[in-house]
Amino acid sequence: MRSTTKKVALAFATIIAFPTYNNVFAADEPAANHAILRQHCAKCHTGEDPEGDFHLDMLGSGVSEETREFWQASMDYVSLGDMPPSDDSDVTDDERLEIANYIRNILLAQVHPANQTHRNPTRRLNNREFANSICDALEIEDPGTHFPLGNLLGDTLHDGFDTNGDALGISEYHIEQYIESIRKIIDATVLSGERTPTERYQVDVDSLKMTSLNQNTQRRDLTLRNADSVDFKDPRLRIYFDNLQAVPATGYYRIKIRATGIDRGYYDAEETGIYDGDPIRLAVHFGDRVRTYDLPDNETREIILNEWLAKGTRIELSYPTDGLRQRGNGNFKFQQAIAHDHIKQHDPELYQEVLTEVIPKSKYRKNLPNHWSHWVNYWRGPRPRVYGAEIEGPIYQSWPPKRQVDLLGHSPSVANTETILKPIAERAWRRDVREGELDPFVRLVKIRQQELGDVEAIKEGIVAVFASPSFLMINPEEGSAADRFASKLTYFFASTLPSKRVRSSIAAGMLDDYDAVREVVKGYFESGKGDEFLDEFPQAWLQLDRINFMAPDPDHYPHYHRKSVSDDMIAEAKQFFRHAIETNMPVPEMLTANYSFLNADLAKVYGVDDAPDDSVLRKYIFNDNRRGGLLGMGSFLTLTADSLGTSPIHRAVYVLENFMGITPAPPPGDIEIQEPDVRQAKTIKEILNAHIAQETCASCHRSIDPYGYAFENFDPQGGWRDEYVAMVVPELGEAKVKGKKKNRAKPKGLPIDASAQFRNGKSYQDIVGFRKLMQTKANQEQFVRCFIEKLLTYANGTEPEDAGQVEKILAKSAEDDYRIVDTIAAVIDSPLFREP
Amino acid sequence: MAVSRRSILQGLGGALALPAFDSTTRAAEPQSSGTRTDGSRPPLRFLVVGNPLGMHPPNFFPNDFGKNYTISKTLKPLEWAKDRFTIFSHTDHGMKSGHGRELSFLSGVLPETAHAFAEKNMSLDQIVAKHIGGDVRYPSIHASLQTGIRMVWNANGVELKPFTDPQKLFDHLFLNLTHKEKQIQRQVIERNGSILDAVGEQFAGVRTNAGAEDRARLDQFGTSIRELESRLRVRENWVGRDKPNYDISQHFEGEVTLINRYNAIFDMVAYAFQTDITRVATVAFPNELGYTDVNGVNRGYHACTHNGKDEQIVSELVAIETFQITQLSRFMKKLDEIHEPGGEGSMLDHTVILFGSGMGYGGTHSNRNLPILVAGGGFKHLGHVDTRNASGNNMPLCNLYVTLMQRFGIERDRFNLSTGAFDLNHA
Repeated sequence: MRSTTKKVALAFATIIAFPTYNNVFAADEPAANHAILRQHCAKCHTGEDPEGDFHLDMLGSGVSEETREFWQASMDYVSLGDMPPSDDSDVTDDERLEIANYIRNILLAQVHPANQTHRNPTRRLNNREFANSICDALEIEDPGTHFPLGNLLGDTLHDGFDTNGDALGISEYHIEQYIESIRKIIDATVLSGERTPTERYQVDVDSLKMTSLNQNTQRRDLTLRNADSVDFKDPRLRIYFDNLQAVPATGYYRIKIRATGIDRGYYDAEETGIYDGDPIRLAVHFGDRVRTYDLPDNETREIILNEWLAKGTRIELSYPTDGLRQRGNGNFKFQQAIAHDHIKQHDPELYQEVLTEVIPKSKYRKNLPNHWSHWVNYWRGPRPRVYGAEIEGPIYQSWPPKRQVDLLGHSPSVANTETILKPIAERAWRRDVREGELDPFVRLVKIRQQELGDVEAIKEGIVAVFASPSFLMINPEEGSAADRFASKLTYFFASTLPSKRVRSSIAAGMLDDYDAVREVVKGYFESGKGDEFLDEFPQAWLQLDRINFMAPDPDHYPHYHRKSVSDDMIAEAKQFFRHAIETNMPVPEMLTANYSFLNADLAKVYGVDDAPDDSVLRKYIFNDNRRGGLLGMGSFLTLTADSLGTSPIHRAVYVLENFMGITPAPPPGDIEIQEPDVRQAKTIKEILNAHIAQETCASCHRSIDPYGYAFENFDPQGGWRDEYVAMVVPELGEAKVKGKKKNRAKPKGLPIDASAQFRNGKSYQDIVGFRKLMQTKANQEQFVRCFIEKLLTYANGTEPEDAGQVEKILAKSAEDDYRIVDTIAAVIDSPLFREP
Repeated sequence: MAVSRRSILQGLGGALALPAFDSTTRAAEPQSSGTRTDGSRPPLRFLVVGNPLGMHPPNFFPNDFGKNYTISKTLKPLEWAKDRFTIFSHTDHGMKSGHGRELSFLSGVLPETAHAFAEKNMSLDQIVAKHIGGDVRYPSIHASLQTGIRMVWNANGVELKPFTDPQKLFDHLFLNLTHKEKQIQRQVIERNGSILDAVGEQFAGVRTNAGAEDRARLDQFGTSIRELESRLRVRENWVGRDKPNYDISQHFEGEVTLINRYNAIFDMVAYAFQTDITRVATVAFPNELGYTDVNGVNRGYHACTHNGKDEQIVSELVAIETFQITQLSRFMKKLDEIHEPGGEGSMLDHTVILFGSGMGYGGTHSNRNLPILVAGGGFKHLGHVDTRNASGNNMPLCNLYVTLMQRFGIERDRFNLSTGAFDLNHA
């Protein structure tokens, strides 16, 4: 399996990893003729029991199918300076460079073995690509507002990537669910039957109702209403329209909503968790289509929308905020006690009145005047206020609707099925349709005509076009090289099928050289058509999906949970990547830049006190040489940490895998790994040092661990710490008792040692020194190489195997100072992407 | 009746003797649609219950071996059935450490190495379902809450996703369609069948034009079309026949908690077994689910496994694990109180239950020494068994799987990494 072969690269730890060992060993002319390798490596990597189970003879006489991965791994290790290690030899940096160049030249010389192909196997579309592609083929804005994709099986990620061909399985379940989804999408695009007359719905205040987000609970009317409006006093609720709970027919609807924001800043932002600089917002939901608006303060805004809605769509309003969870266990209800504090301080008269008139009449908690339940009606937190709405629909400018006529023509009949299906199939299948290829679909339509009538029968044919492997699989057949490349290109940037224009310009040879490709790459980013790549590639590469696999402990890191800081961290990483593209940043700068993008929530975690008080991400320059770039991001530091402690090994493995392009082998199964024990007064380094004393562990961990220790000054949520703070876990149930003062004696902290030495003898004292080392030429190159491999993995659905071609891309990228747009262009221009 | 979560847990803890509700459960007679008509032997069924993080070893594995072992803390809820299950120590799939390998639980094979095995990483439940599931409405059913744990894999090496909403599971198993709905469903089956015909025909042309490297995945597509076609045919046969009636609403009165949702799932599985709608089921306890409905649990499941040996966090982990065992115990008790329809003994004697995980213990990321328990199935149970051989090596878990397959009449003596079979006799 292609995607896993490189897994063995680092450790060479087990016999199982080397099924080809004997074959390679038998190569008639082993590495003896590589004098430079013999000179520097033979001492440890020959004989009965070679170090790391890697024997020089495994390189054979040159690069071949069997030996390529060992050559690649050798180059990675020598380039990194990890090999030859300083403790066993007196090799100099210049000599290391010489060895690395020697290996690189051998790899480059082997670029085109006669029988080699760069073809990657076809794969199934993932769910994102499926949704985008079917919409573009049908020329509609999105799959529809009736959750037509809700039944699809979720995609499995492979190292964060949702484009991995092995993880994207196909089964009869998949096919059946696809057919159901396709049918639902087409049903909301092509309307048969009578035109539904347009109606007007006046939604006045009495028709505004509130419901819990959790649809499982059937509860009383939760609406908190004023004479003329309804307020979002509880952000967990949604407003729906009682006189239009679901739209009666598919078509355009014109929706007017009148709303305003009130009481912004009435309470202290510290108390509500909502920054004074953030506007109050209102979201309008049509199924999973969401439109979000900023509301002006105390001034009615009329929001006007014109939306194509599928029959049965529910229209709902919500109040998007990451605040109002500051008190108690984070449940909104505790928030209402703020009203108590505020009134007590600012309005003693009202306070006395509630105390003497209201609380004595309540059923519960009479002796607890500050209990939230007494203050629900006095809550004045920032919130949207909705006055009403007006809806008109379904509206059709013409009948049948334009989108239907565009697809089927004015009077579709079964007799011209082929003419109707052909352009749809050519869009959907990303290629020309072969002579006679539509025959089975035409027959299908004819069979159904009698029972269903012309339009419905033709719809069956369209469903079948989309259930075909030509749609559901990317490049499933040889086809023309131009069409294959067109699909690769548009799925890479936009996760969708190529337009006719892209296909024909590629077929005309307009993208045959690097300069043309570079212009196209720029065009994608400048026009916004590459936005999906800007979102999805960093998501996959940086494995942002893992961020809450092991979230920081809620008792010790409440801010992280109360303000959904993981969302901010993901946004930071994506914003940074977008910035890199927009400024055509040299790739190595991404790793160690002295800036990143912060909002007030992140500033709190990062210990920055001069960021504006709002949720907007802005560029921020760090002057401490500790933070900035990918190495300083909360997302990385959090997703590699446990909930109470940090693991230098997890962080090292992340850095190696995602920044250095090396996948350390997991520890062998029969090794007893000691469970961390927070009760003992030992630092993680002391524990790991004991671990490294065992030779089985040491051979790999000497290489791995130096990539992780540098981050020990960052706690589980990525905040800076000068010493370890012993984690005291509250007694059973205490955490759930709201407002109870956690009366812990502050434990004495243990000192942090964030220093380490690499195998090439270079060492650092802390993160500052580590970041400096990451800026050496060798490390920068290794990072760019890794970045190139990640781009190819995203594009091809499998990791690149041809190290020589990767080196060529790297060389091309170096010509332009490794600038990111140029590097991406070099990747796309490579045969590894073009698959000639 | 609003039952507080505490009283449910205590009630199921084994301390209280439940009233024999044989008469009430017997009142729901199996439907004719799913039962044997030829008077043959009662069916043997298979339930797998799994989690992705293993079990805290000192609390799960008893300290002593043999039939008279002392029950461990986590297994306490099962004490009533001590002679009805066997705990297997020292079995595993020889996997390296780390998350992600637990998905080899039911095959010993990871997706990335599946190509080297004839049956890919097809899971044990699917192999059993293939053998015994053909005569019933659903060859197998799978349930979890929120998300699955990637435990079930079909013959193509594709993961089968569980139902994660008890209501949807209910609709699938027990909701009877109206006459009109049945008609529509029949029509959809027929229409989808025609679509597959057309797609299959066009697929043949695509395959001819495909490159060598594309064939394997295209063939997966082709196989899927054919399998769906045959599934539609089977379904067509069942559309007209009614499903048994069942009522699970008592689980959803008052607050809907994790506990009553799992109760509902297990009750539905039990009733599906009883009425022979299916003979193979899996239930999973995923990592992502919040277990704070369980008494004493404040943290995430995964966070609890990385407890740093802090006593409070360990106790939360044990509470989650005890909850899983409590669910198992409750299910076993339920089956044991139902006389096997048309057979000897209780339904528990005719149901093989496998509980376990593909991970040994999350706290150390170890995938050795998996927590494995087999209950019921008419086996002569052995208490707590040390499966290591004379040289002290762990037993491949696949050896036990060979034994279980043989129990289902599957005539084979090998399965993936097996080196033999484990000796576990049955009555």
